[in-house]
Amino acid sequence: MSSSPNQFIVASPPSDAISALKFSPDPNSTRIVVSSWDKNVYLYDLRDENGTVGEGKLLQNFEHRAPVLDVCFGEDENVIYTAGLDWNVKKIDLNTSEQTVLSTHEAGVRSVVYSREHNIVISASWDSTLHIHRPDAGANPDSIATIVPLPSKPFSISLTDSRLVVAMASRALHIYDLKALALLSAQADSSLPDANRVEVEPWQRRESSLRFMTRCVACMPDGAGYVSSSIEGRVAVEWFDPSPESQARKYAFKCHRQPAEDGVDVIYPVNALAFHPVYGTFASGGGDGVVSFWDGITKRRIRHYPKHDTSVAAAAFSGNGKYLAVAFSPGFEDGKDDVAEGTVQIFVRELGETEAKGKGAK
Amino acid sequence: MGKKRRGPSLEELLARPWCYYCERDFDDLKILISHQKAKHFKCDRCQRRLNTAGGLSVHLSQVHKEQLTEVDNALPNRMGLDVEIFGMEGIPDDVLKAHQQRVAMQFQQAEVERQAVTGNPPAGASANGQPAKKPKLEAASDLKKRLAEHRAKRAEALAGGSSGDVTPTSAGQSATPTGFSQHSQAPAAPSPDQHQSFPPTFGSPVAPAFTYPQTHTAQFQPYAANGNQTPDMAGLAQPFVTTGYAQPFAPIPGQPTTYGAPPSFPQQPTPPEHRPSGLPAASNLPQRPSFGAPTVNAHQMQQMHMGHVPHSQATPTHNGDGAFSQSVDDLISGAANAASASKPTEGAEKPAKKDKSKPSGHMIYSHDTISPEERMAELPRYAFVPDNTTETTLGEVPATAVVGAVQTSDTVIDPAH
Repeated sequence: MSSSPNQFIVASPPSDAISALKFSPDPNSTRIVVSSWDKNVYLYDLRDENGTVGEGKLLQNFEHRAPVLDVCFGEDENVIYTAGLDWNVKKIDLNTSEQTVLSTHEAGVRSVVYSREHNIVISASWDSTLHIHRPDAGANPDSIATIVPLPSKPFSISLTDSRLVVAMASRALHIYDLKALALLSAQADSSLPDANRVEVEPWQRRESSLRFMTRCVACMPDGAGYVSSSIEGRVAVEWFDPSPESQARKYAFKCHRQPAEDGVDVIYPVNALAFHPVYGTFASGGGDGVVSFWDGITKRRIRHYPKHDTSVAAAAFSGNGKYLAVAFSPGFEDGKDDVAEGTVQIFVRELGETEAKGKGAK
Repeated sequence: MGKKRRGPSLEELLARPWCYYCERDFDDLKILISHQKAKHFKCDRCQRRLNTAGGLSVHLSQVHKEQLTEVDNALPNRMGLDVEIFGMEGIPDDVLKAHQQRVAMQFQQAEVERQAVTGNPPAGASANGQPAKKPKLEAASDLKKRLAEHRAKRAEALAGGSSGDVTPTSAGQSATPTGFSQHSQAPAAPSPDQHQSFPPTFGSPVAPAFTYPQTHTAQFQPYAANGNQTPDMAGLAQPFVTTGYAQPFAPIPGQPTTYGAPPSFPQQPTPPEHRPSGLPAASNLPQRPSFGAPTVNAHQMQQMHMGHVPHSQATPTHNGDGAFSQSVDDLISGAANAASASKPTEGAEKPAKKDKSKPSGHMIYSHDTISPEERMAELPRYAFVPDNTTETTLGEVPATAVVGAVQTSDTVIDPAH
């Protein structure tokens, strides 16, 4: 693959492994937020003063008290939500730099997402709960998060405009109806303390199609289904529609493996999944340092990019689908002690006209 | 790759043009060249197809002012620009040799598999010349042809003749000459199609029927790789659940095992762990007299061993190779099953849900319940005690020397909030 000028390495990367990377949902924005194990959340803009997209610059960073595991943009690109090992879910106003703790879990918080359609923030924690927040009630001191217990620890969550997919340990997977969750959270505000813990029946309960621990889940931009990945180099594509016809379409495929000399593959976890907002194709990023594009509908690989030395920690497409940002970090897998200088990198690739476009059926 | 190679001889296979970058092979040099132009020498920016990597490099640097560093879509060790490839020209000798070797190896392996599955003699000596295919791919004419063959064999068997060269005993044999010569010395077996009238006292006289060479294990490796060993599927549908099933039958190629524990045979449960220990004891039993025990082909043998009634070939995956039993009934029902299995029904999809408890390779991260992040969070340097209101962060805090957003975390973090 060619370097420059269609690929940049973002300046001033975090000093420790990256846990999440998100593009602003605004189609014309080139802002990205990155959360890191170095306890900071970073805000970058890829455009320089002249509006030229390049290596970008660090606009702000927000220090937390513990490593930050996830970050997402809120109602506009001036608000972000963060979740981390300090057990807190926070709202950060980028203009004023004001940080507000929305709620505190009883363990590290793995993921946080914001639903624009329902104006709720959902966080998932290793205490096996979801917290549902209504950020507009933030000024109201009585406002508390609605707690939804889960059967297992959540590892990854993703949403469409109407559904929330929660992938958990023990290969469990719940699909919630966002409208129901939003209603619940609205009611919970008026109830007594402690009454905010509500059992919610998921819209669908599923078992992961993958035999191994779910690593990541991502919903299709058209809301028809989702893809999930496991630690065992595999990605499953599934549809929400419970009809047998739709369910029969689901499938899984192997990826992010490297053949070794003895014929035994080295199997990497698939750490990142991201859908292209325009084409509906998706990118997967693995522990092997490879990013691949796939067309989930026609079941074809579109391309894969050269291997990077370190693992792919996160990947995201820009709101208009023109850019792909990939966060590389030394693997989470081996729990190694030191992060070598320069191994944490954020690559931004300007995609060619058809680079992420599906190929059409065979 | 192997799939496409059924049929042609080794020479033909070796003569096929193939792509240096991705090891794919093609019918024709022209197709190879257009493949290379489309897959490996295409410009990302403007979709222009160049003839060589060097050409693409020049194009990129001149037109787009970019530097080509490696060839797209290439195998990891073939991305380099140092070799100038055009079609089959320019492939380094060592790579070429390695490729030929691999082709030859795959060919032989496919050969062995085919023999194991079909019981046909090696290619070339094959009567119909047509390579064995999965039943669902089989044309009606082939079915008829095989039916005719089968009838002939049956007639021959009834007439007391031997059908030694087509007995399925040769099924699992390795392709090595020694393997075969041992085989040809084996007593001729009766017609292979009698498994449905399988005598309860299944003795061991036809020893070679049970000499499963080690290659047999390899032969079913694809199943394991495809992951059809879902534990929950095992009892329901899949006769071959483990890679180790052939072990009891696989002492040393050419060294007959006496197998004398007939009653335990049909009841033999599936747990793979039991088998290796269960069988050796059998050889302590006195050898039974020889009385027309039927020869059972490798596959049927295995099925029975797994406690399956031989004709219960109901599963689609199984039909992939298994329906090649010599019985006409099986043949026909197998073809029918395969046909129905080709439809994407819910049932057909289940076997595709692979991923068995045992991965086919070395997993970089393998833990059932603890995610990598949780593991990492346990490291001392990330430790955090939330109830402690004082600063609990360990290690150095990165400088926050950026545009005016220095936060004093104490002001915002209040668990009581």
